[in-house]
Amino acid sequence: MNDNIALQAEGLGKRYVLGEVNARYDSLRERLAGMARKFVSGSRATTAKQQFWALREASFTIEHGENVGIIGLNGAGKSTLLKILSRITDPTSGSAAINGRVGALLEVGTGFHPELTGRENVYLYGAILGMRKAEIERKFDAIVEFAGIPKFIDTPVKRYSSGMYVRLAFAVAAHMEPDILLLDEVLAVGDLAFQRKCLDHAKELQKRDATILFVSHNMFSIKTMCERVIYLRDGRIQHDGSVQSGIELYEKDCRMSALAWTGMKPDEWPIFITHSELLDEQGVPRALFDFGEKMKLCLTYETRKPMDSPNFIVAIVRSDGVPVCNYSTELDGIDLGRVSDTGSLELDLPPLKLVAEMYSISVLIRAKGFQEILCGQTVATFHVRHPLFDTHFGVFHEPASWRIQGAVTLGTGK
Amino acid sequence: MSATRLAERPVTRIRPPKGWFDLALPEVWRHRELLWQLMLRELKIRYKQAALGVTWAILQPLLPVVVFTVIFGGFARFPSGGMPYSVFSLAGVLPWTYFAEALRRSATGLVTNSELVRKVYFPRLAIPLAGVASPIVDFGFGLLLLFPLMAWYGMAPTWSLLTLPLWMLLTLAFALALGLWLGPLNVRYRDIMHTLPFVIQIWMYATPIVYPLSMVPEKWRSVYSLNPMVGIIEGFRWSLLGTGHPDMRAVSIATALITIALLGGLIYFRKVERSFADVI
Repeated sequence: MNDNIALQAEGLGKRYVLGEVNARYDSLRERLAGMARKFVSGSRATTAKQQFWALREASFTIEHGENVGIIGLNGAGKSTLLKILSRITDPTSGSAAINGRVGALLEVGTGFHPELTGRENVYLYGAILGMRKAEIERKFDAIVEFAGIPKFIDTPVKRYSSGMYVRLAFAVAAHMEPDILLLDEVLAVGDLAFQRKCLDHAKELQKRDATILFVSHNMFSIKTMCERVIYLRDGRIQHDGSVQSGIELYEKDCRMSALAWTGMKPDEWPIFITHSELLDEQGVPRALFDFGEKMKLCLTYETRKPMDSPNFIVAIVRSDGVPVCNYSTELDGIDLGRVSDTGSLELDLPPLKLVAEMYSISVLIRAKGFQEILCGQTVATFHVRHPLFDTHFGVFHEPASWRIQGAVTLGTGK
Repeated sequence: MSATRLAERPVTRIRPPKGWFDLALPEVWRHRELLWQLMLRELKIRYKQAALGVTWAILQPLLPVVVFTVIFGGFARFPSGGMPYSVFSLAGVLPWTYFAEALRRSATGLVTNSELVRKVYFPRLAIPLAGVASPIVDFGFGLLLLFPLMAWYGMAPTWSLLTLPLWMLLTLAFALALGLWLGPLNVRYRDIMHTLPFVIQIWMYATPIVYPLSMVPEKWRSVYSLNPMVGIIEGFRWSLLGTGHPDMRAVSIATALITIALLGGLIYFRKVERSFADVI
């Protein structure tokens, strides 16, 4: 293999048998009963199991020092690709060769044990990531300093806040100095200052000719970290090249992706969204907002036949699938009247109360009076950031008014 | 970049599984640090949260021995080869407790560490290996109970004690062999986890722990000795107490059976370990 090549994949594919995945907790009794049934009925045909290719024909070459972002919608095969490259699972077809020490961080803090102290967990986690004891010892102080928790290093990690936990785990992983680092969505955790630190560290690694493969839904960090993007759709590589066009493809697919649960095919929609744009107050397109900022959503629609008073519903869904809120033209007392051909509408959202996370915006169009669904699409995704409010804090935050009794008479010396 | 840096870069090749006799033992050796840390973790967790801490390692064999001594030694008056019944049974209970713990941990380790298996690469063999290695420490603490008890009855270990590592190795190999077979099955069928405690309990009574081998009728001996633990426990007794002699026929049968089971287990484990992350 050429010395400049860090990673070469040829036709990598991974097939899952759906029956197997569903039957993972089945009991021996059921399996035996099934075998008995088959034996009695004399049928030798195995039950038709559904096969599913999570990844197909993935071929690419990455040179040392390249930072490559891997993006795609949920289920596009990004995590499967990283799992194969980190050797957690084997490919069904194809092969890959990796030239150098691999560090994989698919989930921060896997293997941390809550009963053990920070110090003990550093050694354990370091070993899990493939470091030698001498190496961990040498880097121990740097790790603790990077995590910023020198005072708590001998406290069991069960008493850590989730932020401290994640920082310590990432600090260990960041110090393993791999030639090739595989990261899956790990920067999505932790506060902004820490994310900054991680990005800086990644750049530092890059300077030392390390290669980073980075899976993320956060186009902002993809843009800052990567100079090349591999875009996956339905398990296949659709684009391998410039970051800009990769992200454009991703965003287009995000916009146009139909909501599966509506059970309708896009070409059956009597009305649908053709274009959407998420803007800030100044009218600049953005995908990253601070808590408290106002967003503006512009939608362009097209109808296949004229209709009366369609109800546009804009739903915000958190990245883990929890619907967090809905805005509806009908609920807000707007009647679109008779619509035909094309048209557009603008939604001014109130200041963001949602905690720091990634969200997607879906548009549902229903007939008047919340009747039948005419179309359902995911149109955009965005991130909210805030140093304190995250999902451990709640779903949203709003200030409240307080009345204090007694405190004045007790007095605190103020 | 310097040439030396390039030279030390390992090349990893990833391809679909094929072949069936690639035990990849060098890969396990490369991950020895992880093996060590997993063992340490098991030990620390076991004793950290328990109020009695390390005392448990002593109580665990002590309590059954008290019960056995009262019931089998006192009421039922089982023979114990001319030595105090408590010493006799403790010398059997200690290795048995080790075997039971090692078997339980190596068979269930993959499932209890499923987070690790799903998210991190390492030779999966490290889990059953750590499972059989960590209870050795408990066995060591147990000896701290046995030797004073022997001294109390005026008994002293003889040169046969030097063979102790041999018996230990045989037990470890047996527990590992079974763990290599049962662990992957447990990934697919959790039934294994639920059945194991009963099997271990019943198995104990099919092994000369509360009674001496001499109580088993001669005509049943050869069938009885097919249980590898028979030869092993007798060997432990001889090694620890220096009385009687190991049944060489039973020991040879045990060694042969264990070797076969261990080799088969290694091949089987290697063959299926690649799919753990997909099904666990």
